[in-house]
Amino acid sequence: MFDTISMLVNAFGPSGRENRVAEVVTQMIKDKVDEISSDAMGNLIAVKKGSGKKIMLAAHMDEIGLIITTIDDKGFLRFGTVGGVLPLISLGQRVVFENGLTGVVWYEESIESMKDAKIDKMYIDIGAKTREQARELVEIGDMAVFEGRPVEQNGLIISKALDDRVGCAILAELARRCPATDNEIYYVFTTQEEVGLRGARTAAYAIRPDLAIAIDVTRTGDTPKSKPGAVSLGEGPAIKVKDNSVIAHPRIRERLVDCARENGIPFQFEVVDKGGTDAGSIHITAGGIPSGGVSIPTRFIHSASEIVDIKDVENAARLLEAFIKF
Amino acid sequence: MECRDLLKKLCSINAVIGREDAAAQAISGILSDYCDEVRVDAFYNVIGLRKGQGENPRNVLVSAHYDQIGLIVTGIDENGFLRFTNMGGVDPKTLAAMEVTVHGRRDLHGVIGSKPPHLIPPEDSDKPVKLEDMLIDIGYGAEQARELVSVGDVVSFRFPVLELKNNRMAGRSMDNRSSVAALVEMLKELERIRHRDNVYAVATVQEESGLVGAFMTSWNLKPDLAIAIDVCHGDMPDAPSDESFPLGKGVAIAVGPILSRKHTRACIKLARQEKIPYQIDAEEKDTGTEAAVYSSALEGIPTLLLSIPAKYMHTAVEMVSLDDIGAAARLAARYIAFRDELDQEGDSND
Ligand SMILES: [Zn+2]
Repeated sequence: MFDTISMLVNAFGPSGRENRVAEVVTQMIKDKVDEISSDAMGNLIAVKKGSGKKIMLAAHMDEIGLIITTIDDKGFLRFGTVGGVLPLISLGQRVVFENGLTGVVWYEESIESMKDAKIDKMYIDIGAKTREQARELVEIGDMAVFEGRPVEQNGLIISKALDDRVGCAILAELARRCPATDNEIYYVFTTQEEVGLRGARTAAYAIRPDLAIAIDVTRTGDTPKSKPGAVSLGEGPAIKVKDNSVIAHPRIRERLVDCARENGIPFQFEVVDKGGTDAGSIHITAGGIPSGGVSIPTRFIHSASEIVDIKDVENAARLLEAFIKF
Repeated sequence: MECRDLLKKLCSINAVIGREDAAAQAISGILSDYCDEVRVDAFYNVIGLRKGQGENPRNVLVSAHYDQIGLIVTGIDENGFLRFTNMGGVDPKTLAAMEVTVHGRRDLHGVIGSKPPHLIPPEDSDKPVKLEDMLIDIGYGAEQARELVSVGDVVSFRFPVLELKNNRMAGRSMDNRSSVAALVEMLKELERIRHRDNVYAVATVQEESGLVGAFMTSWNLKPDLAIAIDVCHGDMPDAPSDESFPLGKGVAIAVGPILSRKHTRACIKLARQEKIPYQIDAEEKDTGTEAAVYSSALEGIPTLLLSIPAKYMHTAVEMVSLDDIGAAARLAARYIAFRDELDQEGDSND
């Protein structure tokens, strides 16, 4: 599982630029599925044919990133954000462009307090000395992502882009296992989740599944002085009750709970106010598609150093395997 | 059933957003008395159909959402107290010392605790209490609480329906059961008049969190005309006069960019002709109601929005007037039946 995750997190793929991730996934699963194709939004849709229910499993390929808006005459880059990038967390980070170029995010040191360190007071230094030199390496509109190579330590994985390559890894592993079922399984690797749950919408519209599950990350409440009530790392995958984009269909949530209990898989419930998932756009598509979610407890979401517990990841795959067989 | 009793019955039903499954049968039972057929879809939208009696009937959708705001359990602490967050727009100020029902393994009474004033240090006495600091007390210790309640269980407010003077009723979930009452009253009215068109009377789900039911309903029914019924702010002290409407002065007919100009005009004309009390509700934005979904669903559905003024919205003491419910019902029914007979002059530019 760690190797699968590593290959996926190492692929460059901010929202709208997911093609490299799609290539990695395609190589991983193309021999194990009946059909695999991309749609106009860049979603990668792999099908394992069956005569039973059409079940869509969705994990998003895109990661958050930065987009170059202007280049100054000293060769420093100003940027906007792609998805929910927290300004303070960006500071001091290395970022990487699609062509491999590395930059460093820093701030205008004239600001009075770090509270004022908004995105418009920050810049990326790529070591260029002039605008012309910079423009040989990047253009306005180019995107960069955080650097943060994957590390396995003490049963945990630390990396950038675990949101949501960990979900992609679970789907890829599941597809490779070829679970025996009559149901028709759609492994859907979606695009543009971080900018409005966009890819999943068109994929669901095209597929018209009977039901759908989004596999994504959820924040934990187990770090010093964090908000109480949230899930903990290592206590099992979280079965979604609600997030800010969807209330899980009660029958799907119950079915997931039954599958977990029947198979002795630990689980937690996810009830959060903030953040959405692909289920949010899927469930209101084409007259309504009953949807739910399985979420991987994740610390430090949307940073260059997200953390998941490998047991939770493996248990999520087991839970989904049991679910798609019913 | 009289409107008064109907509303009481509707308000006694629990359908916290996303858990309408617990209530769909009850709603379906109420609609079935006045419909040719009633079905419940996969998301628990309750869809009643009264068939039209004319030739080439068109399809009219009239919807009122039946979900209600509430709370959801997010944790159980070591002493058996329940942490929670809101389902829909709940003002934390209105929660202290509230009675609730926790819909756990079985329904449990509970109270939202509030620190007595004696124990609040003076420097904190003016500070608002935050939702995340409030707890529900169900009287059990942690072990029993964990047996009966799980994270994700929903919580509803307990407040009996009060009958007040002047045909006014107060209670929780008047948003939007008063509109469901109007939907049923409209069906009753339609029994007395001949109507050409098929009328889909739909009690929709999850309006309070993303207008969810409206997406399904418009897609599945593909109506030629949609009428959304919801509540608008009742006039109360300190309320801005352009955004609030006195109770008992009639149904509010919304006028605005997303609403069909042709149908809105005709509807106002009919209200005047039939002497149905009405008020005009100017909505400069998308209205925040199901009308927003309908008007841009499919190829675009001509949409009307009728509202019942409700004071103290999103509290447990929402107040409405039965007279306004009656006016909304009469206007909707008569518009559906008589809209073709109205003089449509000056509508060419719609
Ligand atoms: Zn995500």
